[in-house]
Formats: sequence, C-alpha cells, structure tokens
Amino acid sequence: MSSIILEARDIRYRYPRGLEAICGISFHIRKCEKIAIVGPNGAGKSTLMLLFNGMIRPDSGILLFDNEPVRYDKSSLRMIRKRIGFVLQNPDRQIIAPTVYQDVAFGPVNLGYSESEVKAAVGGALRYVGLEGFERRPPHQLSGGEKKRVAIAGVLAMDPDVLIFDEPTAGLDPSGSEDIMELLDELNSQGKTIIISTHDIELAYPWADRVILLLGGKILQEDIPDVAFGSPEYVRKAHLSMPTLLELYFELEKRGFSLPERKPRTILDMLNVIDRAFHNRPCCSEPGAIMVYNVDLAEMDSFRAWLSKNPELSIGAMGTRAKQRAMDYQITMDFTYGVIDKCILKALLGEGSVILTTESMVQRIFDRVRDFSRENGVNIPVSLLPEASENTE
Amino acid sequence: MYEEFLEDIAQTNGLRGVNTYLKLIAGIGAILLCLLSTSYIPPLFIASVLSMAILYLARIELRTYGELFIVPFSFAVMSVVVIVLLSGGGEVYWSWNPLPWFSLSITSESINEGFFVFCRVIGGMSGLIFIAVTTPMTDLFVVMKQFRIPEVVLDLAMIIYRSIFMIMEQLKQTYQAQVMRLGYGSFRESIQSFATMCGSVFIASWESGEDLIRAMDARCYSGKFAILGETRPVEFLPVLAVAVFLILSSLVVVISRNITLIGAGP
Repeated sequence: MSSIILEARDIRYRYPRGLEAICGISFHIRKCEKIAIVGPNGAGKSTLMLLFNGMIRPDSGILLFDNEPVRYDKSSLRMIRKRIGFVLQNPDRQIIAPTVYQDVAFGPVNLGYSESEVKAAVGGALRYVGLEGFERRPPHQLSGGEKKRVAIAGVLAMDPDVLIFDEPTAGLDPSGSEDIMELLDELNSQGKTIIISTHDIELAYPWADRVILLLGGKILQEDIPDVAFGSPEYVRKAHLSMPTLLELYFELEKRGFSLPERKPRTILDMLNVIDRAFHNRPCCSEPGAIMVYNVDLAEMDSFRAWLSKNPELSIGAMGTRAKQRAMDYQITMDFTYGVIDKCILKALLGEGSVILTTESMVQRIFDRVRDFSRENGVNIPVSLLPEASENTE
Repeated sequence: MYEEFLEDIAQTNGLRGVNTYLKLIAGIGAILLCLLSTSYIPPLFIASVLSMAILYLARIELRTYGELFIVPFSFAVMSVVVIVLLSGGGEVYWSWNPLPWFSLSITSESINEGFFVFCRVIGGMSGLIFIAVTTPMTDLFVVMKQFRIPEVVLDLAMIIYRSIFMIMEQLKQTYQAQVMRLGYGSFRESIQSFATMCGSVFIASWESGEDLIRAMDARCYSGKFAILGETRPVEFLPVLAVAVFLILSSLVVVISRNITLIGAGP
C-alpha cells in the first residue's frame, strides 16, 4: 500500500453565523487513489474540498498533508496550493485572465517561474488537455467543455500532486463528460491523486477506487464503490440511487443465479455476469406473456372484469393518459416508469403482465419486446389485448 | 439586444496574424495625418484606403462596418451643420438675422470649413475603426505592458476585461428570463424589470468578484499576472504595405495642402 498523502482527524467547520457544515470528519487518502466524495446538495462536499487546500481553516481538528499538519501562514499555504490543485465547478469562476495563455500561466508566474519555465509549463498543460493553438483566444469565446479544459490546464501547469475537482462533469454534454473522466484517469495513471465531488453515482461508481458518502457534514460510509453504493439503506439515506449495474446484479442474485463475487462495474463486467449466470442455470423454461391494452380503443369496464379473472398479472401504465384512465377506473398499477423493461423482467421470470397505454405507444412496446427477444434468443409473446378479452368472453 | 461585440469581431478578423505594432502604426499614423492635413483630400484618401483594408484584408462585413460608422457620422453631420451656419468669411450665399446680435449665414468659407471638418472626422474614424476591428484588447494589453503602463492599472484592466463578458452574459440571461415572462410589456413594467435586472446583476457581479479573489488565492496569487509577449513576426509584406500607405498619405497631405472645395487654392 502506498503512503498516505492527505489525512483528516476529526475536523469541524462552522460557517460564520451559520450551520456547522463539517461535523467531525476523519479519513485518509493514499497517494494515487481515485476518491469520489458523494452526497446530496448541502452535504458539505464543497466545504470539505475547500478545507483540503487551505481555502478555509477548520475550527478544530487536524488536517495532515504528506504526514505534516497543514499550517496556515502565507508561505505554507502557497506550498499547499501548489501541491493540491483545485478545479472549481464553474470554469467561468476560475478563469481569471483575458486569454487562455495568460490564464494557464497565472499559477506558474505567481510561483515565480522564469519566463521559459512558464512557457514550458503552459505548453505542456495545454497539450495535455488538447487545447494547443488556443493560446490567444479569450475565454468567453470557448465552449463549456473547452473552458473546463482551460481551468484544468491552469491547475495542471502548477504540477500538483493532488487534484481536486468539484463536480467535474457539471454542465457538460455526455461526450464532454466522458472526455473529462478519461482525462482524470490519465492523470491518475501518471501518479496524481484525484479527488472528485459529485452526485452522479453512475459516473462515480465505475471510476472511483474509494467512495466517501457524505451526509449532513458527516461521513455516512467510506468504502469501495460496490460496498458504498451497495447498501439500499445508505443509498436512500444519502438521497442517491443505486448504480444501474449494481442494481441489476442484485436483481439477478435475488433470482438465485450463481454470480461471480466481483460486482460488475462496467457493461462488459455485466455481460460476463450474465453469461456466467445463464450458462450455469438457464432462464425459466417458458417466458411469461406481455399484453398491451390500448386504452383509446376498448372500454374499460370489460377490461376490468377480465382483469379480475386474471389477478396474477402485473399491471403497468405508460403515458399520462393511460395512467389517468387506470386511476379513473381504480385499476392498481404495479409499474409507472421503466414499464417495458420491468415487464420484460417479469416475462423472463415466467410471469405475465399487462401494459396499459395509448395508441401512439403500442408499436414502440411491440418493437422493444421483439428486439429484446431477438437479441437474447428468447420468445416473449406479446399481444394486443382487446382481442384477448373478446376471446375470453 | 446584445448581438455581437466589437471585440469578438476583432478576435476573428483577417489581419489577426499581423504584428500588433504594425497595425497600431498604420491606424495612429492615419489619424495623425488626418489632423495634420489642411485640405479635405488627404482624409478622404486615407478613409478610402483604410476602408478597403478593413473590408478586403480584415474581411469585415460591409454591413458591420457601416453600422460602426452610423454614430460618428450622425454626430459629424450635426456639428458640420452648426459650423457651416455659424462661421463666416468669403462669398455669402444665404444669411438670416433673427436677432440683432445673432446671425446665421452660409458662405463659401463656412462650406469649405464644414466639409473639411467632416472629411477629417471620416478619416480619423476610419483609422480608429481600423484599430478597433483588427486589434483585439488582448493584443493591446501586450502593448500596454511593453509601454510600461503601471502594473496595477494593467491588471485591473485585464480583470475588468474578463468580467465584462461574464457580466454581459449574466445580463443577457436575466434579460431573456424577463422577456420570456413578458417583463417588458408596458412602459411601467419595463422600468420595473430594468431595475430588478440591474439589482440582480449587481449582486451577481459582487459574488463573482468574491469568487475571483478565491480563485486567485487558490492559484497562489502574489501580485503577478502573466502576459504572452508579441510573438508574431514583423513580415516584409505588411511592413511594405504600411510604409507605402503612410508615405503616399503624407505626399497627398503635402501636395493638396492648399486645395479647398470652393475656390481651390491660390
């Protein structure tokens, strides 16, 4: 195990005339670790991160950097801030200078580098984030992703050991987010310790080495991602949701499949899990049927009568109007969101289900179920219901 | 409302790659020659050459260029009318004495004077606009630094430059949010909306100022601001072009020194 780079011992912080934002937190972060600090809004994530590089001073407790207590005189602070780089959530708030070059050079110049050193540092940082040739551009002409990169380059130019990112992907499009996360991985592989704060669990789950769940200024849980996100109770307490893949894994486990010990963190992991599960024990012999009931066409009374004869069916409703009709006729719905997927899951368990929906969505349901059947080599029967109800009469 | 900044035009103009000093020499030289000339011809000559440069070399749209001229042009017309009516001398074409001590007249000298001033305004403006559309502020900071403008002033200027765009963005968003909710429906409402917009933008800029201090602290601010020096080479062709332009203009100034619109020269 590599050595500890950042350690907190029972730190507390209270905003002037405000609530206690950090109430007794202790943890340690090792060199080269990827840490995600996760928690709901107002949990104290940002405050905690500001404590790391000495932007605010804890009221009590000790913060150790490289096994030495952080001191708050001017020169120690400069050293800390050089070695712990901070990338703010909003790049507009971080970019100070009128051109990209000047902004990235801001840190190195203030650290007293010579002109050639500054040039080398800026050139290297800009190359790293892929912004070569942007030197003379003013920041207000850049896109959100580019601004974020400028902000990161500005911190990288100071060559810190630890990089702190407050919500690194906030406000970026999905591909921009992927790019930034890749950049973080790359930095980490070069020996930098990376700490991010986020409430995007799908992002933190596959990425982090360790997760610190924060709630109300206290650490709720601190562990590897599958443990930290694996407890429904903690996840609910921290106002989060379980990562999709993890939830899926637990769903499979509940169905009695024998699964590998390691929890899936990526789609590929998940595919392995599924392969394992289905080779060891095939799916139930006969998949259940999905019936689609078009609320625009048929009368609800006969449908209700039919439903009462088939109480074992699960009922889902898709679309506002379908849900409204179901409520008008006092039909209890089992699913109201992610309906198709949930019904397919039921079908794979050998149970039947009904989807209440409107004309425009019928085709979508059929397509989705048939696509799934084709891709997975199962045959889930799907039918339009008014005929079925006529047949029973 | 806020469509495009002059600064954005300058950042992308066709002469961006030319050395800043050359552009400044051309622009300032043109303005000085306009002031030195005693005839209406040199300013017109300078204006036409610079306009061609702005339109064809810097590739500024004619419409944009025209719009830039509207305000100075209208001011020039107003002042020229006053000059023509108030100044005298030479042959009198029209005069009117509404009061014993006050008279308005149009004479050959006053027309000469007015037209000369008008041409000077056009020439000077073209020089100024040439600098404005070809040299962005960010390049001017470099020049200021080399001219030993006090660092405090320069740092302040750069921070202000950066903040202007952020505050403008804030202003735009607030304004749009108000328009979307019909904030400028009536006169009364417009005033109210404008006041709230000012208030919210003031608070936002105050906050971003505090953030700025924090951001600078987090990056070890110790009173220094980096500046990327002028790295664009002084190329032969642009130097030649500027030299030819200035020499030709000077020649025109000398040759045409006695030419006036009416009753040219002795």
